[in-house]
Amino acid sequence: MSVSELKERHAVATETVNNLRDRLQQRRLQLLDTDVAKYSAAQGRSPVKFGATDLVCCRTLQGHTGKVYSLDWTPERNRIVSASQDGRLIVWNALTSQKTHAIKLPCAWVMTCAFSPNGQTVACGGLDSVCSIFSLSSTADKDGTVPVSRMLSGHRGYVSCCQYVPNEDARLITSSGDQTCVLWDVTTGLKTSVFGGEFQSGHTADVISVSISGSNPNWFISGSCDTTTRLWDTRAASRAVRTFHGHEGDVNTVKFFPDGNRFGTGSDDGTCRLYDIRTGHQLQVYQPHGDGENVPVTSIAFSASGRLLFAGYANNNACYVWDTLLGEIVLDLGELQDSHKNRISCLGMSADGSALCTGSWDSNLKIWAFGGHRRVI
Amino acid sequence: MASTSGSVGGEVTGVPPLAKSALPPPRPKSPPEYPDLYGKRREAARVQMLEREIGYLEAKIKFIEGVQPASRCCKEVSDFVVANSDPLIPAQRKSRRHCRFWKWLCCVPCLSLASFCCCCQSECSCHLRKPKCCNCTSCSCIGSKCCDGSCCSNICCCPKPSCPSCSCFRGCCCSCPDLSCCIPTCFRSCSRPSCLNKKKSSCCSCNCKIRWSSCFRCPKVRLCCCFCNCKNLCSNPCCLTF
Repeated sequence: MSVSELKERHAVATETVNNLRDRLQQRRLQLLDTDVAKYSAAQGRSPVKFGATDLVCCRTLQGHTGKVYSLDWTPERNRIVSASQDGRLIVWNALTSQKTHAIKLPCAWVMTCAFSPNGQTVACGGLDSVCSIFSLSSTADKDGTVPVSRMLSGHRGYVSCCQYVPNEDARLITSSGDQTCVLWDVTTGLKTSVFGGEFQSGHTADVISVSISGSNPNWFISGSCDTTTRLWDTRAASRAVRTFHGHEGDVNTVKFFPDGNRFGTGSDDGTCRLYDIRTGHQLQVYQPHGDGENVPVTSIAFSASGRLLFAGYANNNACYVWDTLLGEIVLDLGELQDSHKNRISCLGMSADGSALCTGSWDSNLKIWAFGGHRRVI
Repeated sequence: MASTSGSVGGEVTGVPPLAKSALPPPRPKSPPEYPDLYGKRREAARVQMLEREIGYLEAKIKFIEGVQPASRCCKEVSDFVVANSDPLIPAQRKSRRHCRFWKWLCCVPCLSLASFCCCCQSECSCHLRKPKCCNCTSCSCIGSKCCDGSCCSNICCCPKPSCPSCSCFRGCCCSCPDLSCCIPTCFRSCSRPSCLNKKKSSCCSCNCKIRWSSCFRCPKVRLCCCFCNCKNLCSNPCCLTF
């Protein structure tokens, strides 16, 4: 076949692709007969109302000397690991605020950290393109340097996010600026699967965040600067199971909804969105009202029931609490007493849903919980 | 036709002279047309990708024909939320419920003004206290002061003077006028690193010994601050503005 014939086939195929995409979009729009807020309002759902002291800051974890970029809870035992611009990982006892470990990192430019399911190791990654694993039972020297147990090398760009597969201490997923996600075998340090990349259909820009389903650990979602979120099956890496469109800016953060069949996203376009993974529907858009320009969403977390969506934004110290059913902001943690003094960069909900931890550019972490009934002195 | 004969510098015999206009002018040959194999293969690869995409899209259209409308998904979300309890949501009724959270968090007695418990009245003996602005004389930082009314902690609230007089002291860092990416420490004794930019800012220079073996590709490239300069030691390779 000659080049000219190929070019003609190319043009025909392009037109076919565009027509099919239009048909797909039209069909999707027909199926979007309502959203969560309209449905819930029609059902007469009562709004969530917070009193002035219902959600309070119960702990302030001080120790970092730079911006906090990432945090993660243990599945149990109430410990938190945090990563900071100061080049350290700190492991905290959330109950007592004590630091149990302060690990000085070989590369200070860390962007993400994660606790293993058994709580015995922590992983981190950043601009060095490597995901480093540290054992918390290793002895640190006087500088706080802990030997690296394993280095997961292979990404060609920064490691933006990492998460252990639930209940599996030997498997971990990373996302990267090289447009791929990788499933690693921590025991061997080798890649098990690569999702996306040069020869596979995947994200077309930096991947910024991942979230693994708690109910089906074979599924995970990734958010990217190509404005899409993709659902992957770890057993079939060649192509994403589904691609979710809608955002108009980088998708900075993704989190599974507690039921495992939905997920939330936060983006540079200033919105959070709720999607259904089985149908691909965009169920709700959470957009703050206001005349100002859209403020990027940096991080999100769902409460245990999914009724509350916590979203950190890139301006000041705002952390809006959204009523996910009615689509309304019910609280701003940034306006509460003892709130952060700078941008909230990361959020994490404890395993039992009773406490939210926030990390901020003010170098602190804070733990928020329900205040209950009290007398104020 | 007049014939021209003769030659310069001598007689030529036995060879009839050729007319000048009989031969066509020399014309170099064009190179043979080689097939553009690379271009053809590249085009074929593109067509193959598009045809594969057509297959995927047709599968998606077939899939979506059997997909339930969004309203049913919304119902599932609503039903799930209502059916599951949430420790962070205020009780709808005034009667107190078992505060399982307080057993988790209020096990540490309230011993100092710097901490407080959030208590159910029957569960904990302490009360919520508003933190007072403490007397910061016990802070060993030079020039430290109370920060916004909260009590002093182990980390002193160091002032943040503007550059260039600022020096890193216990992690406090000045703000660079051009970039918001001063790191508090470079390498132990090092003072603030230089702020990378084409025009020098007033931040001090750094004598850090950390060396990077390769350039970084910066996340979310911003015009102000992400560039690769392997020769600049210990400076923040990227302004992590995300």
